[in-house]
Amino acid sequence: MLKPKTGSSVQGVQGDDEGAKRRRKIPDTAPLVGVLILMMVIFSITSEYFFQVDNFKNVLANAAVTGIVCIPSTFLIISGQIDLSVGSAAAVSGMLLAQVVNHHGVGPGLLAVLLFGLVLGCFNGFIVTVIGVNALITTLGGLGFLYGVALLIGNGQTLGMKNFEWLGTAQPIDIPLPILIFAFLAVVGAVTLRYTKFGRSIYAIGSNPNAARVVGIRSNRVMFVTFILSSVAAALAGAVLASQLSSGDPNSGLGLELQVVTAIVLGGASLAGGRGSILGTVLGLLIVGVLNNGLILMDVPTFWQRIAQGLMLIVAVSFDSIRAKLNKTRS
Amino acid sequence: MSNNAELIRLEGVKKSYNSVEVLHGVDLSVNTGEVIALLGENGAGKSTLVKILAGDIYPTEGVIKVNGSELAGLDVYQARQLGIRMIFQELNDAPTLSVAENIFLGQWPTSGGRIAWRELKAKAQEVLDRLEVEIPLDAIAGSLRVGERQLLEIARALIQNAKVLVLDEPTAALSNVEVERLFKVMDQLRGQGVGMVYITHRLDEVTRVADRVQVLRDGNSVLLDDAKNVSRESLVAAMLGHEASGNSRPTVTKGTVRALEVKNLSDGEVFKDISFDVNQGEVLCLFGKIGSGTSEILESIFGLRALVGGEIRIDGKNFTPKSPQDSVTRNIGYLPADRQRLGSFAIRSVAENLSVSSWPRMAKFGFVKKADEDEAFGTWQEALHISARRGPGQEIATLSGGNQQKVLLGRWFEARVNILLLVEPTRGVDVGARRDIYDIIRKQAHESNMAVLVATSDYEEVVLLADRALVVSRGAIAAEFTDDLVQADKLIAASS
Repeated sequence: MLKPKTGSSVQGVQGDDEGAKRRRKIPDTAPLVGVLILMMVIFSITSEYFFQVDNFKNVLANAAVTGIVCIPSTFLIISGQIDLSVGSAAAVSGMLLAQVVNHHGVGPGLLAVLLFGLVLGCFNGFIVTVIGVNALITTLGGLGFLYGVALLIGNGQTLGMKNFEWLGTAQPIDIPLPILIFAFLAVVGAVTLRYTKFGRSIYAIGSNPNAARVVGIRSNRVMFVTFILSSVAAALAGAVLASQLSSGDPNSGLGLELQVVTAIVLGGASLAGGRGSILGTVLGLLIVGVLNNGLILMDVPTFWQRIAQGLMLIVAVSFDSIRAKLNKTRS
Repeated sequence: MSNNAELIRLEGVKKSYNSVEVLHGVDLSVNTGEVIALLGENGAGKSTLVKILAGDIYPTEGVIKVNGSELAGLDVYQARQLGIRMIFQELNDAPTLSVAENIFLGQWPTSGGRIAWRELKAKAQEVLDRLEVEIPLDAIAGSLRVGERQLLEIARALIQNAKVLVLDEPTAALSNVEVERLFKVMDQLRGQGVGMVYITHRLDEVTRVADRVQVLRDGNSVLLDDAKNVSRESLVAAMLGHEASGNSRPTVTKGTVRALEVKNLSDGEVFKDISFDVNQGEVLCLFGKIGSGTSEILESIFGLRALVGGEIRIDGKNFTPKSPQDSVTRNIGYLPADRQRLGSFAIRSVAENLSVSSWPRMAKFGFVKKADEDEAFGTWQEALHISARRGPGQEIATLSGGNQQKVLLGRWFEARVNILLLVEPTRGVDVGARRDIYDIIRKQAHESNMAVLVATSDYEEVVLLADRALVVSRGAIAAEFTDDLVQADKLIAASS
């Protein structure tokens, strides 16, 4: 009992204020950067195609669709909530887009997708904040029934879509549009979380939902808006995906929610709420993306990617738990 | 009743934590068929003493004797073997299980791996009969009244063959009827030879239920006598000691403008027909024992607890509490007793914890400047003497209890509230910081014309903090004290 005490007090004396700050800042994202670099080194050795500009573009383009969903999902997880319906929501969005674009044109198609996102977000937000159902269950139900809706729209088939490739494939400044959309959302998301009342409220709610009420934060309103953002982002991601594939595919969103949660938790967000950042999420996303890409380049069969991804989520959550335990023993 | 056999005896028990002695050599003996009432103010050492009795903690010095022979030591396991059982104020039951299952909680009789329901119910009924209480065995524990659930805990202790029962403030949350029922059960147990240690704050209960009284003060046993020999006055004197009555009162400010008026407020459960008002710049304390209803009254005004009747007026206008968020927008602040659960954002910075309620004012186009937060923290850090070595970015959970409390107080000062509701504002705060906090609250109230309403169970706090005091007992206002009449002995006598 005595030893750690004197140890820490000595540290306290040596480390002045600046030292303390530096000590605390390092651990947040540094390990993620380390892992990312390590992976890139390994894949560069195993595959000559890996370390090339085109391949990086490829990695980012593949990650962008997931990344678009990751931004508001990070908000949700920091606030202690979760949205698992995003995968099926993206699928419905793609099907809807193909259907409407084919019959009424691009404008109405995008409007339909946006509307769908808003309605779904309101639905999720209402069930969770007004009715008071656990978000995991609500959106798990959404994941199930929306997949059915996606199948229903195309009668179980893929729907071809004409004249709408630009959203998924255009390269305005030599960079694919989805990457630009993702980058834009990431910057806006990061600024919102850090500097606005809305973003700070999200941290407060996740850190202590009961206290948030007492200090006057309109928690339900904040949650409601965040669920809407999540569904709209999922709808947008579905539209990008459909545009890339030139078709609506009911199976295109399968497993998206898994990738999203994996990236966010890898990025240091706590499922207990209160912790997480957009920068972390982006790094988590890149780790998942680079891993997938590297495995493909190594000619590893695709089902191994699934196994790797699932295990990665468990590893990430385990880290989260271990960190929580360490914090508890320290205080 | 002195011919009763001795069950267990502690002699000269001392206990130190981190070289600070909190018990200075106390004796305690429990005899068969006898209730000994253990009295003392918060921190007098009652809990420490009974924890030693239950084997939860080991004394630093002292002797434990059972049937006259000395034990080498007493741990939880041995204490259970000896039939020593604790009944806490907080319930330790499984609210979704039935009464019968709860009585046997975790030790259900089985036959061939399956629960022997018939035996379980028969034995449970037997115990309830022994206590002479009627509770349906199939009822779900959570649907019962608090008092009934407490009786289930006693029933469970009896099933486990209890010989010594320690009851830690069991009546704090009970209504009069339930209290009387508990006392009947205790009479029943006394007749059956069970020895009981009864911890209470309520002096009127002592003569009703106890055979002997023991008073602790500051870790010493200061009074031990037959219950019939002691008077209420002698008990108060023993609990307080001599120096406590000489606490200096602050200079009273009364204010002239009414900020908060409360009329006939009832929540249909804990308090009834509560009426009072608080002036601008005045500090009004509601003093009452834990469970008397003081904190619930504040919860209701803030919108955390539903009301069934009564009126609230703020600055002369009717006010219906809707939600805490609504109250905050109307410039009402609330400091909860439970800092961890309702007060602090443990993993967020002190600056953010202090500014969170002021965000609506600080925000420009939805953006909150960190510099504004840091500045706000700087201001209050100086005014409240908050020691946060790592500056505004330090996580609040790493601060001491007293400093955390100051941050949460600063939160409402920074939010410039007109009415501030404080529940147990110095609970868990070390003595040195308390005086500081009282001074700050009074200064802030008078300087910014803030009306402060305090709910507390600490009489010393009332004496040092209040301009005026109301005593609440069992959900009703029992007395009002103003000016120099706000004195510890008067408060305690009125609240017991």
